Amino acid sequence: MISTLHQKLVEKELSCVELTNLYLEAAQRDNAALNAYVTLTPDTALAAARATDERLARGESLGLLDGIPMTLKDNISTKGIETTCSSRMLQGYRPIYDAAVWEALQAQGSVLLGKTNMDEFAMGSSSETSVFGGSKNPHSLGHVAGGSSGGAASAVAGHLAAFGLGSDTGGSIRQPASFCGIVGLKPTYGAVSRYGLIAYASSLDQIGPLTFTVEDAAAVFDAISGRDERDSTCSGAKEATLPGLKRDIRGLRIGVAKEYFEGIKGDVRTAMEKAMETYRALGAQIEEFSLPSLRYALPVYYILACAEASSNLGRYDGIRYGYKTSSSYESIHEMVCKTRSEGFGKEVKRRILLGTYVLSSGYYDAYYKKAQNLRGKIVEEMRAAFASYDILLAPTVPMTSFPLNFTGQDPVETYLTDICTVPVNIAGLPGISLPCGFDSQNLPIGLQLIGAPFAEAKLLNAAYAYEQAADMYRPAPFGVQFEGGARA
Amino acid sequence: MVTPEEIRQLALLAKLEISEEEIEPLARQMEKIIAFADTINSADVGDTGFDTINGLENVFRADEVLPSLPQEEILKNAESTADGCFVVRKRGAAR
Repeated sequence: MISTLHQKLVEKELSCVELTNLYLEAAQRDNAALNAYVTLTPDTALAAARATDERLARGESLGLLDGIPMTLKDNISTKGIETTCSSRMLQGYRPIYDAAVWEALQAQGSVLLGKTNMDEFAMGSSSETSVFGGSKNPHSLGHVAGGSSGGAASAVAGHLAAFGLGSDTGGSIRQPASFCGIVGLKPTYGAVSRYGLIAYASSLDQIGPLTFTVEDAAAVFDAISGRDERDSTCSGAKEATLPGLKRDIRGLRIGVAKEYFEGIKGDVRTAMEKAMETYRALGAQIEEFSLPSLRYALPVYYILACAEASSNLGRYDGIRYGYKTSSSYESIHEMVCKTRSEGFGKEVKRRILLGTYVLSSGYYDAYYKKAQNLRGKIVEEMRAAFASYDILLAPTVPMTSFPLNFTGQDPVETYLTDICTVPVNIAGLPGISLPCGFDSQNLPIGLQLIGAPFAEAKLLNAAYAYEQAADMYRPAPFGVQFEGGARA
Repeated sequence: MVTPEEIRQLALLAKLEISEEEIEPLARQMEKIIAFADTINSADVGDTGFDTINGLENVFRADEVLPSLPQEEILKNAESTADGCFVVRKRGAAR
């Protein structure tokens, strides 16, 4: 997709301003149905597009991402452009600096169309905890786009942008990519700078691309990864992924941990079996093995994520930025309590309370400390697997997209749907979701591949080989449609 | 068992105001979530701890003074400022 648009620009089939206007018009028209964007940024987009056109007019050679229309999730800071985390708490907040990933894309000449919808503070699996309401699935408007990067997935799958950046703390890039039938890459912890990403759970958060193709994901990953002194956890990617993307994968060793397949049935199981057949036909070796500690991954994730969230979200006090209560108050404590209670939604409050619970004296050892010990064990087991296997294969989500308003009734039932995505975050590994079929309702199914730390090149190479062999992409009927389709 | 009293205490620690009608359903939900979290207590794991992901080390920069964000920018998103400072009032009237 990106290289097709790049070709169109270089060959002057259309100008970047014309291309940008096509996307802006489509976004204005179709956002009513999809609710993918929370803010459109036509002025920023057209200024960048004009700059691209000037470079072309001067005969400069264009980088791959130069002039490509894209989106940022609304928890990625954009100087002077409202960044809300889809929360009442940050409505009207305009960051005074750019996130490192946005700096990197601006340096490449990318065109920001707008900011995308998300679950409030990235807490949710359907984007329905957003103060702006949920994003819809372009393959079925009666279903959610997923979450928390639901708007990014909806915008890309709905052809309202060529690619988007999201963030993934427990599956928030991979799950919506799976639900919307596109590619979503969660990079290795430490591969991409999080400077300017509004924090949810700092030991788990990572920024990554949502794209139409694996090649697009590789191009965007290569552009945004790298060392950044402003994020002390960021050591940068070890190697570029594009050069080795199309290598033959004969002899690739794929591990299938049986714990990932417990309770996987129906169309999702069939799609997984077919994907394994495709890999065998490509010359890969597939072997089943066991990751016994995986059964604790989900409670470990929720304990740690909520503990970190309760601390990270302590900064919202109504004083320096964000929402402030308009009711009367008799003390600073009362002002802060009212501000936070009115500014945060239900799920955010629930997670702050849970985090406070597991960190409070008397419960710290039983929950937080025990979860950290178990995290160590999960990390150990998963890393050891890469002595025997190049990549691991699993479903991204045990099911396809939820009907609207399905989540939120029972928090634990909703949390359980993250079972296949959280282990990657716990162990800091790179993971990718790519389309591997459709269920009987024509909803997309996602295949998850997991790599060793900083082995994005190998991971994307394996994903590319499958994508080319299986060809599972289907366009959704929205947005900007080019001849040859988004996968051209 | 998560009691309403515990919810009140947690809300105080977390600086959240929870209305009386919200407390009972919240206690029930929290109880269910805690029961789910309790499944980790069946795990047999020593005090191995966890202090690093992927053997990452902190990335330090040289200890040099770099330009910081200008004061007027920092104050831009605040509801109330005076003389280059954030204003925090002890009491406030309804707006």
